[in-house]
Amino acid sequence: MSFHPLMLYDPERFQRSERRLLEEGEPFTFAPERRAALDELLTKYPPDRKRSAILAALYLVQEQQGYLTANAVRHVGGILEMTPAEVEDVATYYVMFFKEKVGKHVVQVCRTLSCALAGAERVTEALSHTLGIAPGETDPSGMFTLLEFECLGACDRAPVVMVNNEDWHERVRPEDCGRLVEDIRARGPAASSGCHLRIERP
Amino acid sequence: MDTVTLTIDGREVTVEKGKTVLQAAIDNGVQIPYYCYHPGLGIDGSCRVCIVKIEKLPKLQTSCSTPVAEGMVVSTQTPEVVEARASVFEFLLINHPLDCPVCDKGGECPLQDFSYSFGPNESRMEFPRRVFDGEGVRADVDFGPTLMLNRNRCILCTRCVRFMREIDTDPQINIVDRGYGSEIATFQEEGVHSLLSGNLMDVCPVGAITTRDYRFKSRPWDNPDAVDTICTLCEKGCNTTAWLKAKPEWAKGARLIRITPRFNPDVNDYWMCDIGRFDYRWIEGDNRLQKPLLRSEAGVLEPTDWRNVVGKVADRVTAAGGPSALGFLVSGHASLEELALIGRLGGTLGLREEGVAVGWRRREKPQAPGAKFKIPPVDAPNLMGAADMGFPVRPTSSGDADLAAFRGDVEAGRITVLYVFDPGPEGTLGDVSWIVEARQSGRLQHLIVQGVLMTPLAAAADIVLPGAAWVEKDAAYVNEQGRLQGAARAIAPPGEAMEDWQILVNVGLALGAPLTYTSSQEVRAEIAAGLGDNPRYAGLAELAFARPTAAGNWLKTSNPSERWKWDFMFQDLPPVKFVGKPGATSWMNGIPLTEVE
Amino acid sequence: MEPVLTRYIREPNSYTLDFFLKHDGYNGLKAALGMEPNAVIDLVKASGLRGRGGAGFPTGLKWQFVLKDTPLPKYICCNADESEPGTFKDHVLMERNPHLLFEGCLIGCRAIGAKVAYIYIRGEFFHVQKVLEAELAKAYAQGYVGKNIMGTGFDCDIVIHRGAGAYEAGEETALIESLEGKRAQPRIKPPFPAVSGLYNCPTAVNNVETLCNLPSILLNGAEWFTSLGPEKNGGPKLFCVSGHVKKPGTYEASMSTTLHELIYGHAGGIRDGHQLKAIIPGGSSVPILLPHELEIPASFDAVAQVGSMLGSAGIIVMDETTCMVWAARNLLYFYKHESCGKCTPCREGGDWLHRILTKIENGEGEMRDIDLLTSIGSNIAGKTLCAFGDAAATPALTTVKHFRPEFEAHVREGRCTVPADWRAARTPVAH
Repeated sequence: MSFHPLMLYDPERFQRSERRLLEEGEPFTFAPERRAALDELLTKYPPDRKRSAILAALYLVQEQQGYLTANAVRHVGGILEMTPAEVEDVATYYVMFFKEKVGKHVVQVCRTLSCALAGAERVTEALSHTLGIAPGETDPSGMFTLLEFECLGACDRAPVVMVNNEDWHERVRPEDCGRLVEDIRARGPAASSGCHLRIERP
Repeated sequence: MDTVTLTIDGREVTVEKGKTVLQAAIDNGVQIPYYCYHPGLGIDGSCRVCIVKIEKLPKLQTSCSTPVAEGMVVSTQTPEVVEARASVFEFLLINHPLDCPVCDKGGECPLQDFSYSFGPNESRMEFPRRVFDGEGVRADVDFGPTLMLNRNRCILCTRCVRFMREIDTDPQINIVDRGYGSEIATFQEEGVHSLLSGNLMDVCPVGAITTRDYRFKSRPWDNPDAVDTICTLCEKGCNTTAWLKAKPEWAKGARLIRITPRFNPDVNDYWMCDIGRFDYRWIEGDNRLQKPLLRSEAGVLEPTDWRNVVGKVADRVTAAGGPSALGFLVSGHASLEELALIGRLGGTLGLREEGVAVGWRRREKPQAPGAKFKIPPVDAPNLMGAADMGFPVRPTSSGDADLAAFRGDVEAGRITVLYVFDPGPEGTLGDVSWIVEARQSGRLQHLIVQGVLMTPLAAAADIVLPGAAWVEKDAAYVNEQGRLQGAARAIAPPGEAMEDWQILVNVGLALGAPLTYTSSQEVRAEIAAGLGDNPRYAGLAELAFARPTAAGNWLKTSNPSERWKWDFMFQDLPPVKFVGKPGATSWMNGIPLTEVE
Repeated sequence: MEPVLTRYIREPNSYTLDFFLKHDGYNGLKAALGMEPNAVIDLVKASGLRGRGGAGFPTGLKWQFVLKDTPLPKYICCNADESEPGTFKDHVLMERNPHLLFEGCLIGCRAIGAKVAYIYIRGEFFHVQKVLEAELAKAYAQGYVGKNIMGTGFDCDIVIHRGAGAYEAGEETALIESLEGKRAQPRIKPPFPAVSGLYNCPTAVNNVETLCNLPSILLNGAEWFTSLGPEKNGGPKLFCVSGHVKKPGTYEASMSTTLHELIYGHAGGIRDGHQLKAIIPGGSSVPILLPHELEIPASFDAVAQVGSMLGSAGIIVMDETTCMVWAARNLLYFYKHESCGKCTPCREGGDWLHRILTKIENGEGEMRDIDLLTSIGSNIAGKTLCAFGDAAATPALTTVKHFRPEFEAHVREGRCTVPADWRAARTPVAH
């Protein structure tokens, strides 16, 4: 473990933090098409600034396996010429990266003022009741994770619920939550109302 | 030099252009507290305690990030500044534990010191403190082979993160999470693995990063004596301070308690490596040579006295049968004085040129390729000096000492009496197993070792002369840059061991050399006279050596109310800890101490 | 005022390149490419266009500060990290009028001599990003972005960069850090981005709405632009009205329109059977205004005169069912959650404020806690590295200032005195 000539190091012997660490996870390599996508992205930044693509790379990890693992962090670090610590430094800063296994559908309810004025607290309460989990938890079946999120930037269509960082469901009412959950369970992202600005939607 | 004149607290000061207000204040003795600022690291501007008022600017400014400007008027004492600064201290302390009595940093802690000077009288925080490790609170965690990390004490100044990023250039320390939940961490808690790791303890302004080596060993008031010296464990010659623990007569254990780097912009900046920092325990260890040893008729090394042993050395050398049968193997750890005396000795004896060799060890140190502080591979402090003194410093193509010819002479029995001078830590002379083998096989008839440790080489010797380690003698060395520096005597050599110049003078006198030195200073003066035309040695005769700073007996002179510290530090009493009432707004009214079951 | 930025947004396919080209699309850029870069800057300066991100700093001046005499590349960074609670105007612009933004970016690049514009879009706007990417590909294909734009020899790339959930990334230096692949934490200024920004090169960071105003300025001139609003507050402005109004939404209006008109006219007034209690006029970071203070123009200067800020023009309207302690706590949770943690007062103080507000809201507060809120708030405001500290302290300071009796009632009665049916049965536990 240690190359230190004076302080031989046996990690088993010493105290460790109880800080929740990233799961080691399966050995990780990007699927070829994702690796190609990342390589394409890297051309958008100066050649000596590879780490600019880190957020994109971490999104690709999540696309591939749902959440970040230590092995994935090492892999990303290797490509972007960063140490794993540097990757973790960035990854843990941003809330859209999941540092542990999450449900198939991550339901993210906006809780900030405008949505809250429109009843977001009760939406969370209803979702929590329907799913049988508190915000921050994943249900035992591994299907749903419920999260509270900060202002999603669609306060005129409050309360807003986002699913898996991508799909939006606007103007959610507490009484609709039961149906919404069933709908998501059945149809996945297609269940969401989407962004109401898309007036061309059939 | 372009200068700028500004006013700080009504005083006009002139400083170099490009400096910051904080640097100007520090240079001119105006006290401004700071945490995230470190002179050896990039500016962060995050801790906010160095805020000052600058006229014409609407907001208070961080002095660490504000460059000086001509005519600038700075104030560190206006009520606005005083109040704002105190409020930052209140913020810093709302979660910092009050475990100063058991913290290694206590007594030399910038958070403690600055809080007393600049902080509020009391905190208005009444919620539970933030702790990072959940149930059972394992705040003290492993932080690699050399360090411990206590996250509860951390004030997130990020000096450690920036040190790894900027100086070590292998960023192993990161922050996990953000905002209020931020914590210093290494990936998967693997800890810091770097030969520069000890510097993280130095840069940490609180007791969050401590070294495993110094942990619970001593506290500043226990080691009032500090000696400015240099490190001689490699050819870099970092400037260091050796800290000595003051102890009652009856207390056992080492006096040399830690070694810390001392700023020298031309040599080591603010840093030193872990080898120099931590490889000192052998100096006061059990393996030190404390008495002269002589191999008896029965073949056992037995203690003897100096008079006897010096006579025996002279006998053996004389009996060798002429200078061609004599060999001197000198370590790259030999100081200028020692080299000069060995030179005089060789001259007296008429030693052949091939009869002298210089040995050293070369080890590549694993470091990030871009490291700003490079640890050189050669573990010898004085090769440059040895070369200047006319000694044969012969590296092979790989940089190791080329001893092939010399070894051949020993192994062929052409050299019958070998005198090895080895004052460095074990192994720094390079591979010497061939000498042991030659002596044991009888091809080498006599082995004289002047050294500091009972190494296999000393164990194989016929005569062992106990010398001094570099912290036990005043001695001069020339580092890889050709810079002349002195290592000071911080502690005495153990037992009957003597400073090496003295041993060499005694041996020389026994062999009939006309030596009249009564101090190492006289040796240096003579070297200086001889090398007078080499500017490198211009200051040698006047080279100054620091002495332990006399701080007196801190404990005796301290306030009687501090006596409990004495009890705590020196008696085997049960540990004490604070028992604070939750919600008590002013714990300073009385410190309740109770015993822990 | 005729809408300028949102004129076509309700028309089907208004986001497409074809539609855009039929409605003066890329003509502003054409005009800019026919001018000297300095002339573009002068024109924008003359228009008095002020940054729409929140600070209201004159855009032309910002560009003028961009270091010209340097071998380093220069960059435009478009701040599309719209995260200020109560703000959703850039969302509309990007989704319904992406080419307007591209055109604005290119004009900015032309003005300061940049060859790349990075659009930093917040990670949550993934559906918007998909629109941007699809339309950008078309613009590249038809020669409006990329090499030799419109045959003029002008080369310029646009790169869309997705954020990942960090309010602080909206601060311009934090946005640059994030673009460089680091934590979105602010840098100390100076140096300002104009001197040393992205990759330590001269950089201008401009908000989406700001850049979207450029094409019309190039087409219609500075005078036209200034004529659209009060002095020094010219041009069209997007206002976001949300909260307890009948018709929440994004409304384009002149900055001479009053706040009252925006709330009662455009947004249809307070929901039936309720009365206005307070508004936050410029996104959650600015001080509250009371019902009697609304007869002022919704301009940068007029709102500042009454002690608040127009900020990002996100107007959050609260009726009498809103508990102000609850509202402050809701926002402090946001600021505590979004604080980057770099500097002390905001990192430690934000959480402290939140804890005290929770204590009061739960009916466990003491009278001295109310003064403590003010004291801690003042100790954060103005003492931090970036403006986040001021923003975080504001909800606590402004609610105590205007609604102190409500705080006292919470303490006296040991419960929330303004419960509302739209809130959860009990205050959610912070986690």
